[in-house]
Amino acid sequence: MSESSPHSNNRFPFYGPQGRLVLVDSALEAVSRGSTTIGIRTAKFAMISSQIKPTHPLIEPSEKIFSIDFHAGATGSGYIGDILQLIDTLRLEAQRHRLTYETPIDIDSLAKHLSTFLHNYTTYAVRPQAASIILSGIDQTGIQLYQVDPSGTFFRGSGFAIGQSSETALDVITKEYSADMTQEQAINLGKKAIEKALGEVPIVETGIVTHKEDGFHKLPLEKALSSKP
Amino acid sequence: MTTIVGIRTKDGVVLGSDKRASKGFFIGSKIVQKIAKVDETLAVAIAGQLSDAEYIVKVAKAERRLMELRRGFSLTVRESARLIANIAYSGLRNYQPYYVELLVAGVDRHGSYVYSADMSGAITEEDFASSGSGSPIAYGVLESLYTKEVTNQQAKEIASRAVAAAMERDPGSGNGIDLLAIPNLTEEVTT
Repeated sequence: MSESSPHSNNRFPFYGPQGRLVLVDSALEAVSRGSTTIGIRTAKFAMISSQIKPTHPLIEPSEKIFSIDFHAGATGSGYIGDILQLIDTLRLEAQRHRLTYETPIDIDSLAKHLSTFLHNYTTYAVRPQAASIILSGIDQTGIQLYQVDPSGTFFRGSGFAIGQSSETALDVITKEYSADMTQEQAINLGKKAIEKALGEVPIVETGIVTHKEDGFHKLPLEKALSSKP
Repeated sequence: MTTIVGIRTKDGVVLGSDKRASKGFFIGSKIVQKIAKVDETLAVAIAGQLSDAEYIVKVAKAERRLMELRRGFSLTVRESARLIANIAYSGLRNYQPYYVELLVAGVDRHGSYVYSADMSGAITEEDFASSGSGSPIAYGVLESLYTKEVTNQQAKEIASRAVAAAMERDPGSGNGIDLLAIPNLTEEVTT
């Protein structure tokens, strides 16, 4: 029967005492326990890569690198169900753009759309999506790389890391990144960053965007997976 | 108006069309493309209201791409024809029919197919089909020249002759011929 005063504790907890969005913070916390995932961009290509967590030998691990359209691809860290939902939102938006304009969607519009979608979950008493997405692609303005967080915040840049021990991974990338590195070097740097973060040799799935005709493509999974009986 | 033809061959499918767009008794355009490629393995030949057809083809393109991304392999030709027919049927049921008669032709891992889809939402699978005002004339040529053993190369010749015959006698068709051949998938592409 108590009136809803600022101090009553049956109010929905959007803001914590420090003025932070409690649910969003929890979502970010969930992301920081997800598989280590990175993105590297140069003027010539972008590379996204995500750790695949080994499961039971009879169970196939989840796909982590997703094609969004011919010219764009994404990966994520967090709850896989939430990631898949966000990936589908991106795919739908890419096709909606083609339907309306008959051109491939630019990567900035994709990132903004995802940001708006995620932001919606922070304004109502619902569960924010526990997933950060690294988005890569090519458009009229060149090769692009974005990171989008559960809060709806998004960043454009040349090196990102999300998920478990992402600070360590990002440190490695920041130290060894160079604007004229080759695809091979970027792939190795990605592996090294994830390995440093986890302290073990990981199985990773990788996707590449280039200026070439085929735009975004996934690299075949390494043998490490199938070598087990 | 228009003449379009589609032929299923032993090594793929062939589509043919004229290039005339009519505005009543006036020739609105002499260079219209009536064969729309949905992607590398599917194409649609258009007769009827061009705007309606363009819209349906665009939606089909988007849906086909989405499905391929979601399930990891693309739609079969029959699934694509059914998708297009469903759009046409929903138009009919809402008293706003799409004024189209389409030939949906393509190849998938099962083989090559030609489907005829109209504004009622019905689809029929055919070895060869024609549509548009010139179709009765085109059918005469197709009926006499088609055999199950034709190759894409021969079918291009047959399609071209069928459309040419229709252009001679049908005032709604003319101004040249467009042809498109899609070869069967080879084994390594199938996976």
